[in-house]
Amino acid sequence: MRLVTGEGYWSPLAWLAAAAGVLLLAGLLWSRGRRDWKRGTEEELPFLSGEAAPEGARVGGQHLYWGFVEGLRPYVERLRAFHSGFVADYVAWFVVVLAMALLVAMV
Amino acid sequence: MNLAPHASILAIAVPLLGGFALPLWAKLHRRLGELWLFLVGAFTAAMVVLLAVQVFTGGIQVYTLGASSPGETLAPGGFPIRIMLVVDGMGAFTALISVLVALVSFLYAWRFLTEDHGKTLALTLGLLLWAGMLGMVLTGDLFNFFVFFEVTSIAACGLIGYRTWEARGVEAAFKTMVMYTVGGLLVLLAIAVLYGEHGALNLAYLSSRIQGSLPDRIALGLLLGGLLMKVGAVPAHMWAPDAYGEAPAQAVILLVANTQASLYGLLRILFTLFGGITDPVVGWLVTGLGTVTLVVAALMAVIQTDLGRLVAYGAVSQIGYMLLGVGVGFTVIRARPEYGLVAMQGGIFHMLNDAAAIGLLFLCVGAVERAAGARDLRGLGGLSHDLKWTAGFFLLGALALAGIPPLNGFASKFMIYESSFRLSPILTALATLASILLLAVFIRAFQGAFLGPRGKPSEPEPFGMVLAMGVLALAVLALGLAPDFFVRHLVAPAAEALWQGRDLYLAAVLGG
Amino acid sequence: MTGNLPFVVCMVFVALGLWTLLAKRNLIKLVIGLTLIENGVNLFLVALGYVQGGAVPIYTYAPPGVRMVLPTPQALTLTSIVIGLATTALALAFVVVIWRHRGTLDARKVRELRG
Repeated sequence: MRLVTGEGYWSPLAWLAAAAGVLLLAGLLWSRGRRDWKRGTEEELPFLSGEAAPEGARVGGQHLYWGFVEGLRPYVERLRAFHSGFVADYVAWFVVVLAMALLVAMV
Repeated sequence: MNLAPHASILAIAVPLLGGFALPLWAKLHRRLGELWLFLVGAFTAAMVVLLAVQVFTGGIQVYTLGASSPGETLAPGGFPIRIMLVVDGMGAFTALISVLVALVSFLYAWRFLTEDHGKTLALTLGLLLWAGMLGMVLTGDLFNFFVFFEVTSIAACGLIGYRTWEARGVEAAFKTMVMYTVGGLLVLLAIAVLYGEHGALNLAYLSSRIQGSLPDRIALGLLLGGLLMKVGAVPAHMWAPDAYGEAPAQAVILLVANTQASLYGLLRILFTLFGGITDPVVGWLVTGLGTVTLVVAALMAVIQTDLGRLVAYGAVSQIGYMLLGVGVGFTVIRARPEYGLVAMQGGIFHMLNDAAAIGLLFLCVGAVERAAGARDLRGLGGLSHDLKWTAGFFLLGALALAGIPPLNGFASKFMIYESSFRLSPILTALATLASILLLAVFIRAFQGAFLGPRGKPSEPEPFGMVLAMGVLALAVLALGLAPDFFVRHLVAPAAEALWQGRDLYLAAVLGG
Repeated sequence: MTGNLPFVVCMVFVALGLWTLLAKRNLIKLVIGLTLIENGVNLFLVALGYVQGGAVPIYTYAPPGVRMVLPTPQALTLTSIVIGLATTALALAFVVVIWRHRGTLDARKVRELRG
């Protein structure tokens, strides 16, 4: 039940056993938490920097990893310019790949 | 009548003829068409499985057309003049992938498509695309490889653009058509050069004659270029997000399988046809393009707001992992067989894992589009209240694709990481980075489409679609929990057939 | 050198087709570029099979003792022409549908799919 991967091996069943152990530990920690929180009061509301959430606000997909995405955006916008949607550009890039392949095959 | 010796030709002929007959049956009665599709699909699948069992137990299977017996490969003069089908471990493996994907696609289309939106015609094109893929994978001569290459091109573009009531699909189909046709014609040019040089089209015979002269090398370059385009390597990948993003879901997974059949062609050309003369520089080209592909596509996925296009960039990125695996394998396999073989196995195993995981994601996108009528992530939300199965399957597929253990993507990516580390740690770092990006992308997509308060209520997905997605989800789990079983029985013979099977391949056709 | 002239002409065809694809904007001209490449490759195939002074490769019509031109490239070319017909027809059909939806044949304006 082990998959040789070069340096070592990978065994999903051993991983599952380890994951079960970690889950058990997490459950143990969680069960020692406070039980005196009140359901249905404002303790259940999301915490937005201490301000009241505006009506109808919802955390959508575009809000997740916001900084991560914004940090990458300058680089990605440069890549995006290549994907112009113009057929001639598609063919031009194909010619580039073809030239590389021919070059590599010739040497 | 004993069908077993004719399994390879029947696997191509039955879906081809069955595809053209399907509209006739459907014209008589809708149910008759469905029954016909079921029969054709089941028979073809049975033939491919039978063929695969023969290959994995008995070695390379050769089928000569027009000879007095299928095993009579050489015409009286000792020259392989007839058309023949040659199936080794790699061919059987790729054919099995296409069978899995095609059956799931037809099952999904059963409830996903409706008759007034061209269901029968889409299924016909699907059968033709399947026949073309099987032909590309099973054929043993270059000209038929080109013919089936074009069959898949035409059927694929038809499937992308058959929804003529929408402009986007047709636009994607036209762009894909231009790229496929140029690539296909350059492949034909390469075949013509090889024919002019050696006077033959048989793959094994050509392989035994190729010495590395200038025309041989030009042909190698042209074949590499054409097939890298069809595989979807950056920077010739730009048709792929358009096509994957705009084709209907049941067609996209066939397109993914078609990409993998093209990857098979690339491997066959590198390892068998030019196996005698290629040097590791070609491996570096494949490795480099693979690395660029996985990074660029993952970065592009980050800023997509259309769910279909986002998953499409994820699919392009997975092609990069396969190219990286086989490229690293090709580069180091002569010097360090123990790592080279693991890299090859990782790349080939990832073909199967990718077919299951990205297929599952594309089918989920189709279910979302059907339920919500839109795919823009900025407008979607709360779909998990109605589409419970789809939400679960999307999460499963996304985690598998991002390489989260113990799902299937992790096993093959782990093999690729550990072996590419030996060639250069930079490759591993970039590949891991792309995986992290993909995880973030898919978590965002999941949150955007499925979580949150319930939007406008939508009807749940029909049972047929859940069943089709369930098959792929089961495949993801099974491949993830027992990777060693699949690697030992399917992937290892395929990798072995590529890197040490060239002599066997030649001997099976040319004798002695 | 003159022996290679037909092949050079074929490659000129292919190059012209590629240039059409790269430089032209009209969608129909792009399809014409595709057929130019295709014709170049088809001519290349036929030229490959030519034998100096060879007869038509139909066995019963050839006088005895005369060499025939190679039949295989002609069969290949025939297949390739049929495939080319299918691709051209399909591409032109897509052009018609694009024109109906967008009202333009300028490839620079038909690019809703990008980025």
